[in-house]
Amino acid sequence: MKRSGLVVGLALGTAALFAVTACAPREGGASENRASVDEAQLVASLPAAENPVDEVVWSVVEGEPATLDPGSSATVIIPNLCENLMQLQPDFSIEPGVAQNAEWVDPVTLKLTLRDDVTFWDGTPLTADDVVYSLQRGQNPASQWYAAFVLVSDIAKTGDLEVTIRFNAPDSTFLDSLAGGGGAVMSKAYGEQAGPSLGTSEGGLMCTGPYQLEAGGWKPGSEIVTTANESYWGGAPLVQKLKYVFVTDGSTLTTALTEGEIDGAFNVPPGSRGAFEGDGAGSLIVGPSTASFSFGPATAEGPAASPAIRQALSLAIDREKYIDTVLNGLGEVQKTIVPPFTFNQTEASAIYQAGYDELAAPEVDLERAKQLIADSGEDVSAPLVVAIPAGAKEFQQTAAIIQSAGKSIGLDIEINEMQPADFGAMFYDPGARDGIDFVATQGYIETPTVGGYPSLFMLPEDRGGVFNWSQYSNDEVTALMEASRTAADPQTAAEEFVAAQRIFAPDQLQVTLAGSYQLTYLSDELTGATTSIAIYSSPWALHLGGK
Amino acid sequence: MNGLVLRTLIGRLGGLLLTLFLSSVVIFSALLLTPGDPIAALAGGAKPTPELITQIRAEYHLDDPIWSRYLQWLGGVFTGDFGRSFVYKTDVIDLVAPRFGVTFQLVLLTVAIILVFGVGSGILAATRGPAVDRAVAVATSLGMALPTFVVAILLIWIFAKSLGWFPVFGEGSGGWDRVWHLILPAVSLSVMFIAYISRVTRSSLVAQLHSEHVETAKVRGIPRGRIFRVHVFRNASPQILAISGTTVAGLFAASAIAEQAFGLGGIGSLLTEAAARKDLPVVQLVSLLLVAIFVVLNAVADLLSALIDPDTITAGRQA
Repeated sequence: MKRSGLVVGLALGTAALFAVTACAPREGGASENRASVDEAQLVASLPAAENPVDEVVWSVVEGEPATLDPGSSATVIIPNLCENLMQLQPDFSIEPGVAQNAEWVDPVTLKLTLRDDVTFWDGTPLTADDVVYSLQRGQNPASQWYAAFVLVSDIAKTGDLEVTIRFNAPDSTFLDSLAGGGGAVMSKAYGEQAGPSLGTSEGGLMCTGPYQLEAGGWKPGSEIVTTANESYWGGAPLVQKLKYVFVTDGSTLTTALTEGEIDGAFNVPPGSRGAFEGDGAGSLIVGPSTASFSFGPATAEGPAASPAIRQALSLAIDREKYIDTVLNGLGEVQKTIVPPFTFNQTEASAIYQAGYDELAAPEVDLERAKQLIADSGEDVSAPLVVAIPAGAKEFQQTAAIIQSAGKSIGLDIEINEMQPADFGAMFYDPGARDGIDFVATQGYIETPTVGGYPSLFMLPEDRGGVFNWSQYSNDEVTALMEASRTAADPQTAAEEFVAAQRIFAPDQLQVTLAGSYQLTYLSDELTGATTSIAIYSSPWALHLGGK
Repeated sequence: MNGLVLRTLIGRLGGLLLTLFLSSVVIFSALLLTPGDPIAALAGGAKPTPELITQIRAEYHLDDPIWSRYLQWLGGVFTGDFGRSFVYKTDVIDLVAPRFGVTFQLVLLTVAIILVFGVGSGILAATRGPAVDRAVAVATSLGMALPTFVVAILLIWIFAKSLGWFPVFGEGSGGWDRVWHLILPAVSLSVMFIAYISRVTRSSLVAQLHSEHVETAKVRGIPRGRIFRVHVFRNASPQILAISGTTVAGLFAASAIAEQAFGLGGIGSLLTEAAARKDLPVVQLVSLLLVAIFVVLNAVADLLSALIDPDTITAGRQA
């Protein structure tokens, strides 16, 4: 429901310096292989494994995380360690997890009943106190899940295995949020003893997930070794040792994967499609995702803050060509920032789908674009600056495409490649956005909370629009979005959202360029991994193992 | 003569400490003055609320004046505390030490390759007639024009992908496995330097071969082999050593490219990563380490030259 370029930008940064230098021959075979992938061919998960495996080496493309604390990190390592109260499935449906039952006692009271067979890695049984502690961490404004908890008034233990959550108003998204990192279960005793070092290489973690992090398992700057949790309530995983390494250079990663020196990786570079689909130790698996590339305004002043200028740029960008160039065919045209995979499995999916279908598909119309600019009355004589994280090929291409689109309609676009730390700073420091008009990012939605991600861009800042840098304000949209969030039933929530989307989507608060598929490369000897965007929230290696 | 060597040693040591001190000042202030803010790294992915930012700035003394922060850091260095990584929240020394081992081994292997092939081909070029000389000249021109990352790509393509003889990634688990993993990176790192050392060796040798004392020795009928060892190679070696010293020192920094291309966890890749994430304590220590290595190796090379041919010291003093 949140997360934007901040995380992505920081992560991509590590790859920056040399990624550009070493790609030519090994990625050369890609161009002839741009056949588009049919949506029906997307694979959300592989058949569960049957045979045990001693060790699997997994590369985390985004680089080594600073922490494994679910409250402040988004790395794919966490879901295998710390599981959430509700369990997100590969197809984005939600099943009970550690909380075996979640019941709305009344519209503002949610009662969670916990499983009685869950233990932490050290053998201590999970209690309601641990869950209260874990959920209260989300109420801290510094938590990345804070937005999910804004309507919560009280979290209390009401039984040995029962937790009751009270709200100031009905919250149609809360239960979905519990399937994400906001619902991560951690040991209270361990957390209080570890203090601020919780989640770091020194502080470690104590959770209940299928894999465990033992003391010394994280060698900072090198690798993170996790081992099977033999007493996992859902059955021990087949992989004894799951070792994470951090190869951020796209071509090194491609070779190491195809040579079988690394067993698997998520988010592999689409530019290496040719190499991945050729002869190699594994195969490329293309899965459904909610991730998309987009750019949006970084300022409340000047042309970038004007919807007309963004609409004009949108009309000048050929999406099919974008998908061919940047994603090597491994993506799809997306109409707005919330793609259908987000809501496909929700109760009100038909309403959301109808709302999505009625939106106009992106098209190229240079004449209308020019007319929009002329009618807007904006002064477009000065160049507009688009910021991208340095060194990342997909973003360099994105920026170049925006630039040439601008040129075709008389807008002068400049590209500012920023070092990761500076790029990351833009997301919380207004001063760092000085002189920047647009920011290009890749974002994704990690649980089926439909309204969460767009809210960040279009609600007033004090209502949760933390990335609403153009100070977009439409009272009707705000009212509808809040009505959707506080709706008492999913159908009403969906209808209110669709009504809001009808207004905010055309204003292009993020100009969505393409939806990118979830790309996984996995050794042919292995199976059972989750291969959809659900990897950020669910224990994707639970069923991993030998074929 | 021994007194002279000793005095040189002490002088060198003093110079070394002074250089380290000055460079630590320069590195420290340069890093603090660079634009951007380490807050994102420090917050460790948490959403930096104003309260959190204030708290972090106080905890890491980010608002103290530069000189005060420098003194704090320097005080730490003397007590063996090199600070804590902003990103990994762990002692910098624990982060750097194991990675230094990998880089050290990589450089050692590279040096061995460079000395064998660089000095070897230089000797061949100087002594085995014009045809060999020309061939070596062509080869070294090519070698000099090949950047490390290009060689790395070629080597990976040929020896790792097509032939499958070597691994493409990682530093292995130690022992022979480590050596096996480091061979391709070492070769890719050495190519440019082999060419360079080969040229230097050749020209120093040729200069000596045509010198008066060698001509005299020939006239006296001293055997060719002995002339080469005692008069030619010995006289040429100080220069070769001096250049090699700088080369080896430079290898520690240049290794970053090979480390990145082969996914090795050494200090070069650590430095580039830390710099990108504004992990200042790590950048400070690694930069200082690189300076220290550079200065120490140069001093060692000078001392070796002095031991081989004490005249270089006196000559240096007179000049």
